[in-house]
Amino acid sequence: MTPTVTPYRSGRPVGRDGFFQLLHAEWTKFRTVPGWVTGVVVAALMVVLVALLAGVSSNQKGSPPVPIGPGGEPVTDSFYFVHQPLAGNGSITVSVPALRSSIPTGPADLRPGIVPWAKAGLIIKQSTRQGSPYAAIMVTGSHGVRMQDNYVHDTAGLPGSVSAASVRRLRLDRSGDAITGYASADGRHWTKVGTVHVRGLGPTAQGGLFVASPPSVHGMGTRGSVSTAVFEDLRTHGRWAGGIWTGDQVGRKSPSFAGYPQNTSGSFTGSDGSFTVTGAGDIAPAVRETLPTGGTLKDILTGTFAALIAVIVVGALYITTEYRKNLIHLTLAAAPRRSRVLVAKAVVLGVVTFVAGLAGAVVAAPLGTWLARANGVYVFPVASSTELRVALGTGALLATASILALAVGTIFRHSAGAVTTVIVAIVLPYLLIANPFMPASVSDWLTRVTPAAAFAVQQTLVPYHQVTSIYTPYNGYYPLAPWAGLAVLAGYATVSLAVAAALLRRRDA
Amino acid sequence: MSAPGIVVAGLRKRYGATLALDGMSFTVRPGVVTGFVGPNGAGKSTTMRVILGLDAVDEGTALIEGKPYHSLRHPLSHVGSLLDAAALHPSRSARNHLLWLAHSQGLAARRVDQVIEQVGLTSAARRKAGGYSLGMRQRLGIAAALLGDPPVIMLDEPFNGMDPDGIIWMRGFLRSLAAQGRAVLVSSHLMSEVQDTAAHLVVAGRGKAIADAGVADLIAAASGGRVALRTTAGAHAMRVLAHAGATVAATGRDTITVSGLPADRIVMLLSESAVPFSEVSAHRATLEDVYQELTREAVEFRAATPTEVPR
Amino acid sequence: MRPALHAEWTKLRTVAGPLWLLLGMIAATVALSAGATSVVTCTSADCGGDVTRLSLTGVQLGQAMVAILAVLVISGEYSSGMIRTTLTAMPHRATAFAAKAITLTGVVAVAGTTAVLGSLLAGRLILHRHGFTAAPGHPALSLSDGPTLRATAGSILYLTLIALLSLGIAAIVRDSATSIGIILGLLYLLPILSQVIGNPHGQRLLQQIGPMSAGLAIQATTNLHSLPLSPWAGLGVTAGWAAATLVAGGLLLRVRDA
Repeated sequence: MTPTVTPYRSGRPVGRDGFFQLLHAEWTKFRTVPGWVTGVVVAALMVVLVALLAGVSSNQKGSPPVPIGPGGEPVTDSFYFVHQPLAGNGSITVSVPALRSSIPTGPADLRPGIVPWAKAGLIIKQSTRQGSPYAAIMVTGSHGVRMQDNYVHDTAGLPGSVSAASVRRLRLDRSGDAITGYASADGRHWTKVGTVHVRGLGPTAQGGLFVASPPSVHGMGTRGSVSTAVFEDLRTHGRWAGGIWTGDQVGRKSPSFAGYPQNTSGSFTGSDGSFTVTGAGDIAPAVRETLPTGGTLKDILTGTFAALIAVIVVGALYITTEYRKNLIHLTLAAAPRRSRVLVAKAVVLGVVTFVAGLAGAVVAAPLGTWLARANGVYVFPVASSTELRVALGTGALLATASILALAVGTIFRHSAGAVTTVIVAIVLPYLLIANPFMPASVSDWLTRVTPAAAFAVQQTLVPYHQVTSIYTPYNGYYPLAPWAGLAVLAGYATVSLAVAAALLRRRDA
Repeated sequence: MSAPGIVVAGLRKRYGATLALDGMSFTVRPGVVTGFVGPNGAGKSTTMRVILGLDAVDEGTALIEGKPYHSLRHPLSHVGSLLDAAALHPSRSARNHLLWLAHSQGLAARRVDQVIEQVGLTSAARRKAGGYSLGMRQRLGIAAALLGDPPVIMLDEPFNGMDPDGIIWMRGFLRSLAAQGRAVLVSSHLMSEVQDTAAHLVVAGRGKAIADAGVADLIAAASGGRVALRTTAGAHAMRVLAHAGATVAATGRDTITVSGLPADRIVMLLSESAVPFSEVSAHRATLEDVYQELTREAVEFRAATPTEVPR
Repeated sequence: MRPALHAEWTKLRTVAGPLWLLLGMIAATVALSAGATSVVTCTSADCGGDVTRLSLTGVQLGQAMVAILAVLVISGEYSSGMIRTTLTAMPHRATAFAAKAITLTGVVAVAGTTAVLGSLLAGRLILHRHGFTAAPGHPALSLSDGPTLRATAGSILYLTLIALLSLGIAAIVRDSATSIGIILGLLYLLPILSQVIGNPHGQRLLQQIGPMSAGLAIQATTNLHSLPLSPWAGLGVTAGWAAATLVAGGLLLRVRDA
């Protein structure tokens, strides 16, 4: 009779078969490869280093200060102002029979043209200081009558452009803080356009006529324009100083004012309630194009591109190394549910690269901003909630890109191909939109459908409908909202991960 | 005529804190298979890489037919080698792998087909090498080593991953290569693999050759020419044999160890003197014993026995 | 040298990867070029720009695939261990490396010529239909035009120089993923990073030393004064990068243990 053999049973407690154990295993795998840890640290450092470079390489000390509006935002406040003091309440009425604009087509070659947001009308403003509070009612090149105050607020009035056949009459009433604008097409029936409360006008404000003419957009560039308006029947009531009107160019030297076209200048002529005023510039929020020297948080975080390359390499290697060394056999023997292995890898990689990106951005953003400001560079201000979104978004951008690289690496099982595919998919569209020849519609399309859409998460600039400018991704204006842009990249990563999981299940390891 | 075979003299190489080679010297002669044995980490592979000019040494020389490797014009016609059978592009076929090697030596494609046939890979030659078994890759590696029909052949662990048929084929193949007058160096960490093949043995340990001798001599040295004798008349037998000039010692109740006389002479003497005995056997050491003896000191890594696994 | 070249050529043609990469490079280059030219139209008001350069936009994508091929020529051998077989068969490492470089140059030049001429042809056909006709000052793209010929020949040279630069970096770094990361970083990142340099001189300098931003100056046919460097000087910078990385890679290949 054969003796009974007792099968061997390990006395060790059986480990729990949980996802957490898988995560722990993958984390141990990750942190024990010095090259990968270095790659992630390099990613965070690149974000900081480029911010330092951006901060110290600029020097705009001594350039005129950027005018700041009452809301703290940068503004353009350069226009031709025909004014006299208004010491308290009062009203002013005028009719505008003509507003004509000219755009240069070459040096000293001025042609008549349409400047949609050329402005001529009435304004009551705290002072001639740039950025001071105001309210104004105006006719525009092609947006009808508008009432605007404090740079960012805009209300539409009577539509239609102005001509001798359709004269526009405008009235502005001040009563304490409240300023009310009226418009009329015939001088008898007046329509109230709006009442706004302007704080800080002070006891004695400046009031009168103004003409502004913002730059005209041509392709991917702008040309400074000049506009001339004819004013008639100027009448004032209330505590106006009376006597002569003074003509002044407000904001002659300003970073947000490109100046007059060659051989033109601001001026006014006339008396007895009839004036012809010529002016350039704008009374509006500053945008990237009108404030080209300004920096943004996104510029400071340009190191994200370098960080992206580092985390993409790490993400691809995290899986392709297993294939090259056949470690994948061991991994899948230890955890036969293959999709979970991939998810565990994605989670570990995502968390690590998110932390690296977040840490990099949290250090880089304030440091770069502080250095740039110390060197006299104006940095577009952002709310702290926006700054938080940019920092979290930078981390999420790196995490999503590295997970995409992991997924593509699983599909290709080949590191060089995976790394190139992901880098090209994310970075090449960005290079293409930087091509000045690329039409804005194509840039917009590229930043909607390609993974480069994700850079929207770092945008801090907002476009204004009342400022005609070049709102392209290249200038920092993305067609998609910040998180929507990131969602495009996340979509690519999710689909790739699903394909990778399906292939991993179906293929022999 | 230049010196045949491989001459390795005083190789010394340090990787950081580790001394990989510490005065490795030996000679590989034509006409015999030389076994290159030693525990893992003894420096066998490093020595082979140095011979092939892949790794630089801090000191010493390694010459093939009297010349350093890098001065050979068509090196594969002087020495054929197999270091790592897995070092292939997985999607290139075996034939094409050999083809580029042949082109690098100015050899014609005809030669490729010859060596493929020689190692018995003809039927699989046009398949991707990535799908080969380890044994097939070893054969492909041997084919590459034979490509230039070189007088010197050097193989690193060629028995690895081979099935029993493959091992038998490999042994015969190596002996036939030596019989053609080639110098053959074969490394292995398993003695039994080279036991029946090698006529000469280089035993490596801690970066140097601790033995460099013929297999017969090594076994004889380890056996020491001793004969074991089993007899019930121990005292009588010892007298007779001592009288004939042998050194005798009682090693048990019925057993005597004799040295200084061959076994046949002992049988004759005992028979003449009518001493009864039940067994006379030459005490023959195996290569395993020789190896154990020689490398006992040289082993750097020794695994714990299973019972000692800590809980 | 001849046997080494023959061996490297055999290596390159006996696996499918290089051929597919080169075909993919041609397809990607022509496709992106055609895409870039098909999105612009010449209206009477606005029809400026460098149409030759636009027609060769695809080179920016094609170079990435050239880089993969170049990296695989050497890193692929390191990852499988076949580099030892190569260096055993060709112990003169400089010769072996030179053979790799020459073979690579040859195949990239052939594929690059196809890709660049294909892009130019696509541009010629598409631009004409988009209003870029002789009347507003845009005659059809033609190699008989000096600057266009220079841009075309230069783009082919550029692609081969990128291949050599990649080969050099791969010989230094040895790991394929890291090599490709560094190469694409050098090519794509420097122009982006240069935008954050506030100092105009620093910005210009960065554009002058970037292998892509300098080298692609060879594609410019208009507005030459606004380039960071003159066309041939720019291509010279790329050649300098290729030479420096090749020499460094070759030296390291010689002194390092394989």
